[in-house]
Amino acid sequence: MATVTVLPDGVSVRSRDGECILAALYRSGYGYRIGCRRGGCGVCKVDLVDGAVEYTVTVAEQVLSPGERAGGTCLTCRAVPRGDVVIRLRDERLRRLFPFLIAASGSGESPEGKN
Amino acid sequence: MGVMRLGYVHARVTDLAASRAHYGDTLGMRLVHEQDGTLYYKAWDEWDHHSVVLEEGGVGLVKLGYKVERSEDLDAIEQRAQRFGAITERMSKGDNVSVGDGVRIVLPSDHVVELYHDIELLGTDTGTLNPDPFPRHLVGVGVPRIDHALITTEDPALLERFFGDVLGFRASERVVTDLDGGDVLGSWMFCTNTPHDIAFIKGPNGKLHHFAYALTDWSEIKRAGILFAMDDVSVDVGPTQHGITRGETIYFFDPSGNRNEVFSGGYMTYPDFPSITWTADQLAKGIFYIGRELNDRFTSVLT
Repeated sequence: MATVTVLPDGVSVRSRDGECILAALYRSGYGYRIGCRRGGCGVCKVDLVDGAVEYTVTVAEQVLSPGERAGGTCLTCRAVPRGDVVIRLRDERLRRLFPFLIAASGSGESPEGKN
Repeated sequence: MGVMRLGYVHARVTDLAASRAHYGDTLGMRLVHEQDGTLYYKAWDEWDHHSVVLEEGGVGLVKLGYKVERSEDLDAIEQRAQRFGAITERMSKGDNVSVGDGVRIVLPSDHVVELYHDIELLGTDTGTLNPDPFPRHLVGVGVPRIDHALITTEDPALLERFFGDVLGFRASERVVTDLDGGDVLGSWMFCTNTPHDIAFIKGPNGKLHHFAYALTDWSEIKRAGILFAMDDVSVDVGPTQHGITRGETIYFFDPSGNRNEVFSGGYMTYPDFPSITWTADQLAKGIFYIGRELNDRFTSVLT
């Protein structure tokens, strides 16, 4: 279990062991603009602000270049948190897709946002 | 004479094991050859050696192969391509496993197309003597054949002219910004009697939108969708129906994020088929007739 905090909304969800960030968000009732969910398109890219992630499957360098990766770009459909992480969406806000899932997952929302 | 059909799609994948599960177990193609990190697949109702080639490393399209009726067609196409100003080169027997000599063309859209006449004949899984309607031991969806590919190009009008002038394709349907001299946003073109053997929409050069498998009917589309759920295939859209081509469809993604489609239905085309025009304001209905809404993935998710 790890805590995934999403900026700028200041929402925190819990990810399960081995679960990618995107899956943890959707399981917890949140979403944002994503693409193929299989690491091919790069639409789900965010900035990793704090913490570390690992990629348990191969990610194409043409989708996520070593330079991008080193600079903190993170492909949420493939990135599995290694401990607590903080990510920042690029020019968009998290969508509350399913309030009942948000409630059931025990996700936290900081009303004033974080950082 | 000329181009007969889409013969093969050669794509890049990030993971061969996951690709085997998808193309072999879920879609039910047969692995016919494997060499140097590349998988060669054939669908059951196809007779040529392979129709899908998956190369490890990256994502997206390496090239499309179109089969011509006679070897002399290669010379004529090469000449027309050069006159058009495209970069061409001869390919030799063995450049592609089981494929003979041919002509390789870099399209105005930077995609690579290979024209060939000779390829090893393996035969369909039901054969040609008193055949059963389908093979007994199909796996998963059991796709019978590939059907078409949709690619993106910065200049759809130019690519449409190339496929028409050089390869002898005809437009079944076109999307234009407006009816009086508007820009072409997309074109669906055929060389067989199907609605499309290639299609392109405006977007970055060199990218793959999807490649498609033909299924027999709507109930097969629904059955494929159920198998996608069973196998946790990432589904993009569908089952639904296109306005353009009238085809029934599910868009989905392979384990590397390349978009695939299962497609059924559609009308017959002939050389005198009157091209259909869609205006851009009706594009959403043209693409997804029932929902009439383009999701944001349709134009942004490319490999």
